[in-house]
Amino acid sequence: MAALEMVPVVSGSRDGRFAKILIWTGGTILVVVALAAIFAPLLSSWGPKEIDPNGTLAAPGGEHLLGSDGNGMDVWSRVLHAARIDLGIAICAVALAVVVGTLLGMLAGYLGGWVDDGLMRIVDIFQAFPTFILALAVSALLGGGFVNLVITIAAVNAPAYARLVRAEVRTLREMQYIDAAKTSGASTIGIMWRHLLPNSLTPVRVIAPLNCGWAMLTLAGLSFLGLGVTVPTAEWGSMISLGTSDVVAGRWWTSVPPGLALLVCVLGFSLLGEGLQERAEARRR
Amino acid sequence: MTAPAGTPGREAAMTVSLLDIQDLSVVIHRPGRSVAALSNVSFTVAPGEVVGLVGESGGGKSMVARAIVGMLPNGSHATGRVGFDGADVLRMDPADLAAHRGRGAAICFQNPRGALSPTRTVGRQLIDRLVTHQKMTGDRAAESAKELFASVGIRNPGRRLEAFPHELSGGMAQRVMISLATGCAPGLLIADEPTTGLDVTLTREILRQFRHAADTDGRGVLLISHDLASIAEVCDRVVVLYAGTVVETGPAAKVLREPAHPYTRALLRSVPDVNGGRVVPTAGGMPLMTAAPHDCPFAPRCAHAGEDCRTARPETTSLTDGWSLACFHPQETALFAPQEAAPASPSDPAPLPDPQGGSSVAPGASVTADNAEQAGRVVLRVQDAHVVYRSRFGSGGHHALRGVDLELRAGETLGVVGESGCGKSTLAKLIMGLVEPSSGSVAVAGKTVGKMSRVERTRAQMVFQDPIGSLSPRRTVADSIAEPLRAAKVPADARAAKTEAALSRMELDNSILTRYPHELSGGQAQRVGIARALVGQPDLIVFDEPTSALDVTVQAQILDVIADVASDAGHGSVFISHDLATVRGFADRVVVLYLGRVVEEGPVDEVFDRPKHPYTRALLGSAPRLGESRTAEVQLVKDLDEADAATGCALAARCPFVTDTCRSQEQTLQSYGESRAACWRVPELTALIGKSA
Repeated sequence: MAALEMVPVVSGSRDGRFAKILIWTGGTILVVVALAAIFAPLLSSWGPKEIDPNGTLAAPGGEHLLGSDGNGMDVWSRVLHAARIDLGIAICAVALAVVVGTLLGMLAGYLGGWVDDGLMRIVDIFQAFPTFILALAVSALLGGGFVNLVITIAAVNAPAYARLVRAEVRTLREMQYIDAAKTSGASTIGIMWRHLLPNSLTPVRVIAPLNCGWAMLTLAGLSFLGLGVTVPTAEWGSMISLGTSDVVAGRWWTSVPPGLALLVCVLGFSLLGEGLQERAEARRR
Repeated sequence: MTAPAGTPGREAAMTVSLLDIQDLSVVIHRPGRSVAALSNVSFTVAPGEVVGLVGESGGGKSMVARAIVGMLPNGSHATGRVGFDGADVLRMDPADLAAHRGRGAAICFQNPRGALSPTRTVGRQLIDRLVTHQKMTGDRAAESAKELFASVGIRNPGRRLEAFPHELSGGMAQRVMISLATGCAPGLLIADEPTTGLDVTLTREILRQFRHAADTDGRGVLLISHDLASIAEVCDRVVVLYAGTVVETGPAAKVLREPAHPYTRALLRSVPDVNGGRVVPTAGGMPLMTAAPHDCPFAPRCAHAGEDCRTARPETTSLTDGWSLACFHPQETALFAPQEAAPASPSDPAPLPDPQGGSSVAPGASVTADNAEQAGRVVLRVQDAHVVYRSRFGSGGHHALRGVDLELRAGETLGVVGESGCGKSTLAKLIMGLVEPSSGSVAVAGKTVGKMSRVERTRAQMVFQDPIGSLSPRRTVADSIAEPLRAAKVPADARAAKTEAALSRMELDNSILTRYPHELSGGQAQRVGIARALVGQPDLIVFDEPTSALDVTVQAQILDVIADVASDAGHGSVFISHDLATVRGFADRVVVLYLGRVVEEGPVDEVFDRPKHPYTRALLGSAPRLGESRTAEVQLVKDLDEADAATGCALAARCPFVTDTCRSQEQTLQSYGESRAACWRVPELTALIGKSA
């Protein structure tokens, strides 16, 4: 009997398992990189700024695991130590951008009126410039150093969060639970802190990891151009910059390892961000 | 497995059935869980027949509709047969399915404005459809589009064809949707909750369109609804679904008057009646089936359930006249006594453990003597309040309230009724201080709302329409309930004690305190909402359509709780609803709003039994009544959106008794006995209605 056989409808969309794989892969990569950064001194026999007078541009193998650069510094050790700077600056900068952007976005979105107009025009000014050009200008203004670089990259990214959170808050403030909070006697700050903040952060949670990857690229780009971290401090962008001339001469080991490190790290952030986004979508279904 | 026992009914024997669903089961597999959406569903629809598919959400109504048009969700596994004109929809190939969807079966969706493409005129959308499915030429299609619009009761069809979906009111959009569905001349028309969200005066009109489609064109119509009472009038037969199983099938009149399955009875008893009949709540909610049931899925909520119900699933057995049901203990007593809707026999299910159950629906008994002096104080006074929503740019705006006067004392319950757009919600927001009056004043417990401190404002509390949406998604239940106390700076331990007290009054377990809103059912969430309103012992509670988002049996449970809360002597209650019957249940006085004006007010029995204003009569005439045939006294002539009154009576454009005086001058509220109404023609009205009938 035809009626007894089962008619399946094939599932076309991805489910939560795919998201899980992405999150785990991205997370694992980042944890490995972070561990490498933390235990860098134990993993390499040379210091990051230590110069081997006998071995400039030594090929990989032998005394230097990944060879040494033109200054005679150990590439492996520098790649590991650079993770501290790159990861540190990227995460701090994004954290700062999230805090500042969320605060501005929430004020603009909830209060509306001239506060909104004023804040959003400032955001417009920031967003009118291409991100990297703006980063160049700000870092040229502030100069290098860990704190200044964090501020530079945060300043470039904060406006996007301000817009995101503002849009979210504009929708949320019309929700019934905000009316319910008002009639329960909650103050404006109470409503923002207790109701708007926790509910408006959902998209931020998804964007922030992706943003960490971009922040890392911005930092590397600045350093590559000599505006970020400079030699002798180990940083992937400046290492690549230093090694460009060597590549032409066939000495790939000075710039390829930091480049690969950067790639893996950004990939980790991207996978994590994509995974979070997938999970959010899977939950919505 | 339960096989469809016997061919259901006369119709099937007399005519060839158009739709023949046999033993349809659908299991949806999702990672981590599977849901048995339908289990062995069988029923038929013949051409020219209107079949109602009834049940609460989760019952599988929409899944049936999806199965008929071959749009089962991803990951579902179907067995059985969805016979349509001899073919099996479940096993059609994509090309046949595409043809079947347009010409075989067409769907009218619940949200018509969402189902219409927003950037194209409705005429264009209809003509396109005619050209594709009917192979008409452009001119011919435009002609028949006009005819189709006229046939669904759209006035001025030529002009409406040019309209964009956002320019249409809900009722008009649903009419367009019907014309789109009928345009391809389908054999079967499926309407998925076509009147949800529409006003009572429109609901009947839209439902009639479906009856019309069946009668004139011989289409089969499958009318899906959660509300048995309102669709029963136009249906030939009804099919009642519960947890994915068909529990009762039969002729509409039979099932509506003498339902035999305990669930059908529970469903009908949960609907409040405009005549003031008592609501009998049934505890519990619909279970989510993970596999086809091996017992009676209703057994845990059923008062008649015996051991057999819990061990075996009742087979579908035929009674008379195509009436069949799946129950071991069919009930035979009449659900409603003739004429009056009195509480039925004591054997009926009322298992809600409610010690104060007696206080539920007795309006007069709300004020007890020892609370008399407390009950006397005025808790709400609204004087000549106007609200104008101004547009941000330039002049103009929407005049939502036009001079409303209200007074409410502690212990009293005031019902506010009217169609959507009449200013009900604005009134609620005005009282709560969420909008400022443009002129006039609002005072709660003697203090002007605009001048209150934050803590004083918590003296008025509100219970919202959307139970889950009114709770902050990332705050626990405990946090939400205690919010008014936090504002009043009540210390944490006292807060916890009061929260638990409020919770136990709502018959909720303390374990719910740590949960988040999305983990709650609609009924639980609304109980939490009421607990939040009660916890600070306010002077005034405003209920803004508190049950309209809930399922019928849950609605009855919540109404029972609200009736109990509203009868407290310590505070006054305002109960806002578009549903007259729920207001009748427990309001002492009632106010009828129309376009921001009070058109009639008075004691609830007076207004409902002896309405003065034509608008009130029209509303009452449109309300569904159980167990009796209705007599519509006054029929309004147009939809609300078509009526724009610059001067004179606001109802003038829609009122069948309009005179020149009505068009030029507005009447103020005049006393007629115990109630007051604003209409020039009240004295002559009884005679006028007699003449027109």
